[in-house]
Amino acid sequence: MRFNTLFIVLFVGLFSTAQNTKKKKDSIIALDEVQLITMIKKKIETDMKMAVSVDEFLASSDNISFIKRGAFAWEPLLNNMSSERSTITIDGMHVFGACTDKMDPITSYVESNNLDAIDIKSGQEGNMHGATVAGSIDLKRKSTPFNLPKKWNGAYQTGFEFNNKQFFNLANASYSSDKFVADGSLAYRKAENYSDGNDDEVAHSQFTKFNASLGLAYKTSDLSSVKVEAIYDEAKDVGYPALPMDLWLSRALITSATYKQLFEEGLVRAWDTKVYFNAIEHYMDDTTRPENLVHMDMPGWSTTYGLLSNINLQSNKLSSEIQLNAYNNLSTAEMRMYPQDRSERTMFAYSWPAVTTTFAGLSINNAWEISDQSLLNFGGSLGVNYNHSKYVEFNWIFHPGTPQEKTRLLPSLHAGYELNINKFDFSVGGGYGHRVPSVSEGYGYYIYNSFDRYDYIGNPDLKNEISYEGNASAGFTDNKLSIQAKVNYFYIQNYIIGRILSLGSPMNYQSVGVKGYTSLDYSTLFNFSLNGSYSILNNLHWKGTLTYARGQDDNGNNLPFIRPLSYQTALHYKYNRFNFQTSINGDLEQINYSPEYGEDQTPQYTMWNLSADYTFRIAAYRTVVQVGAENILNEYYSTYADWGNIPRMGRNIFTSLKFNF
Amino acid sequence: MKNINFFVAAIALAVTSCTIDKTDYEAEIRTEVIEHINFEEVVSISENDYQISIEALNGTFYKGYNEIRVNISNTQTNEDLSTSDVTFLPLVTNYNGNNSSCPHQYSLDYNTAENYYDGYVVFTNISNDSEQWKLYMSFTDNGETYAVTQNILVEEQVNKNLNMTTFTANDGEQYFIALVAPQQPKIAENELVAGIYKYNQPTNEPGTFPDPSQFSYTAVSDYTLLLDPRMPEPSMGNHSSPNNEDLTQQDDGLYYGVVNYTMTGNWTLNFRLQNQFGAIIKGTEVSTEFTPGVEGARSELHIDILF
Repeated sequence: MRFNTLFIVLFVGLFSTAQNTKKKKDSIIALDEVQLITMIKKKIETDMKMAVSVDEFLASSDNISFIKRGAFAWEPLLNNMSSERSTITIDGMHVFGACTDKMDPITSYVESNNLDAIDIKSGQEGNMHGATVAGSIDLKRKSTPFNLPKKWNGAYQTGFEFNNKQFFNLANASYSSDKFVADGSLAYRKAENYSDGNDDEVAHSQFTKFNASLGLAYKTSDLSSVKVEAIYDEAKDVGYPALPMDLWLSRALITSATYKQLFEEGLVRAWDTKVYFNAIEHYMDDTTRPENLVHMDMPGWSTTYGLLSNINLQSNKLSSEIQLNAYNNLSTAEMRMYPQDRSERTMFAYSWPAVTTTFAGLSINNAWEISDQSLLNFGGSLGVNYNHSKYVEFNWIFHPGTPQEKTRLLPSLHAGYELNINKFDFSVGGGYGHRVPSVSEGYGYYIYNSFDRYDYIGNPDLKNEISYEGNASAGFTDNKLSIQAKVNYFYIQNYIIGRILSLGSPMNYQSVGVKGYTSLDYSTLFNFSLNGSYSILNNLHWKGTLTYARGQDDNGNNLPFIRPLSYQTALHYKYNRFNFQTSINGDLEQINYSPEYGEDQTPQYTMWNLSADYTFRIAAYRTVVQVGAENILNEYYSTYADWGNIPRMGRNIFTSLKFNF
Repeated sequence: MKNINFFVAAIALAVTSCTIDKTDYEAEIRTEVIEHINFEEVVSISENDYQISIEALNGTFYKGYNEIRVNISNTQTNEDLSTSDVTFLPLVTNYNGNNSSCPHQYSLDYNTAENYYDGYVVFTNISNDSEQWKLYMSFTDNGETYAVTQNILVEEQVNKNLNMTTFTANDGEQYFIALVAPQQPKIAENELVAGIYKYNQPTNEPGTFPDPSQFSYTAVSDYTLLLDPRMPEPSMGNHSSPNNEDLTQQDDGLYYGVVNYTMTGNWTLNFRLQNQFGAIIKGTEVSTEFTPGVEGARSELHIDILF
């Protein structure tokens, strides 16, 4: 964490310079965000709810599902694959959680009011920021463009959710002039335990989260700018009802400095270079769980610094994006168990024995407009991944003589063809790519998994996971009706999963045994989604979604955490300045569950939600007030991906109020 | 803008340090377990024109296994003896006046590379008011034999990784197992070294005191020490480690095996002693069940360690 000091000094230094030079006025070329191939861009709110958490927002995407260990910090699954199979980045920056139990996915270190959009790409199309199998989730931060008239903008949002007495305050402000832009946000959420559908309180489901962000950009010339950004996030006293431990404190500092150069003519249109640093500390806490046999400290740290440089090229029909990614991460996690007689010596081990990951890769993605109707996307990347385990003697206990260092080559290729004919559109594509085992899969040491109740041991000698994928979509859109079907299929060689090790006995008292990460010969995954929307009247709209997935290992057994057939149907009605929404969603009974990997069958559930909002003006400020209810029927349920079958929230009435300045 | 500046400064203050420092586990073990690597003089004896110096680790005789290095020099010529026959016999006298000994190397070997006489002694108890240890040594020079005696002090071994145990096996013989290494284990594969000795019952009547034939011990040959390391702490539920190897005898007479310690703390090395014919002559097989909350049952033959 000493780097923090250095970086902050640098940061403050840059900030003061930026402030002092804010006087000249020059020409008026707006330097806006350039996004060429990026397709998905959404406002951070869902149809139902305007004040959502990042998790709730992500959940509104078809190909994202979640493993939930409580009310906070859900682990996003992309294409029904766990988070180590996707690259999750913040503006392209790699950030790695510091918790061995995945209590802190990267999405837990941002807040909805410092994000502008979330860019989700499926499969190898998501190779821009590094090697992946499932795809990429890039959290895009808010970035106000330069503006000639000096302008202040702001929004303040507050609200209360009755079920878990969650009170939240989200504020953000921006200042823009033609030379200088500042974006800032503050967020604070505090929630108590929620209650399930039987009105029973779910103990240890509270959370408190504070998040602040700041971005300062200065236009160095007509076509260039520098920007420094920082996010500080602190979560305290977060309960994880599905885990035997809670969180005492987690803190993240995510900083970056970017230089952007635009070009008015020529092949190269934009060149972005960013250096970044982030540090995460995560301290678990079991002192609120007196039922635990052992008191245990489990701190974890993760620091990453990196560089990314992105060039946009544009010629007549072809636009290309080339990106260099490089980062270095150090992940360390410890466990210290206290004997019942506290005067005795404590028992210590590293659950991540100070593992360094260094990655460097080059990605190229192209879009070629073959004709007005057809587009070819193609690209590839090549990366080098280097791992080093400082305390390799830990790894030797289960894998005697395994090398301390390991270098892997990670190639990736993909191509997709899109065709638009009148109101119909079709696409077909394929991809091939490798991914490296995660720190836990490669070097984890007695990491307790409370889902299947095994202690997991990493294997440094695991082969790269190799994915072959195919995808296709077909759609129809006209004024009233839109319908789209998508399928993808993954054949994943050397699929990494935990298998029972006959040797070794558990270290955590809740465990029933030891599992080692091993490679299956292959696994297959199939995802299907059907989306439709229809404008019944000018002010009455319907939307529906159906998703289905199937995952199997090489013996035809089901893979865990595969979403059963799920559906959502929603109606939206607008009347004057009122909006009314209602939706029904649910999963069918989980037929293809996986007892081998610790799953039991999850019954079907249905949820009914309703909300209404009203827009009005207080003085000159546009104000929106919203009231709604989730799970109106107060159904008691848990989903296929609820860790330890913890029940989900029962009926929840939410209110929120938003002022725009 | 002032506000933002203040805000940045506040963030800077808040995050410039880690809330909790990382553990340097190697340093932690070093403070918990003291490793001695230097041989220092324990006693020095003058006899006629000779000076005898005995060295052991840390200049101390400890209960358990001690490697000893003996140097004998002629104070007249200032030359070290190198062709002498040196004998070494530790005896303890109890409150009854009875004498007994402990496993030891009676005839010391000369280490030509390092120029000292080399041997070992496994003290079975510490010196106290009622039990006094005394060394009886002899050496030869120029055809003459010189005998010396010296009171010595045997201290408690605080490093449990050098613990020892004494027992009578099913064959009626008295055995001794003493840990030799590692002095300072790691969370890793550790080469586990132990000496296994037995008391040779005298077959003749005692001669002139001290008669070495009455106090004879040898390292046993071709035995196997079966190993099952476990953590006895109740909350650890009889936790064990993988890839351990039983101890077998190597050329230096000591027994070598592999023990994996998966974390620091208290461990029990559960042993079963197997003789050269494959018969288990001491020790019970321990349960491999994982029993959270219950202290692990130890083998009747075991040594506790801590690091």
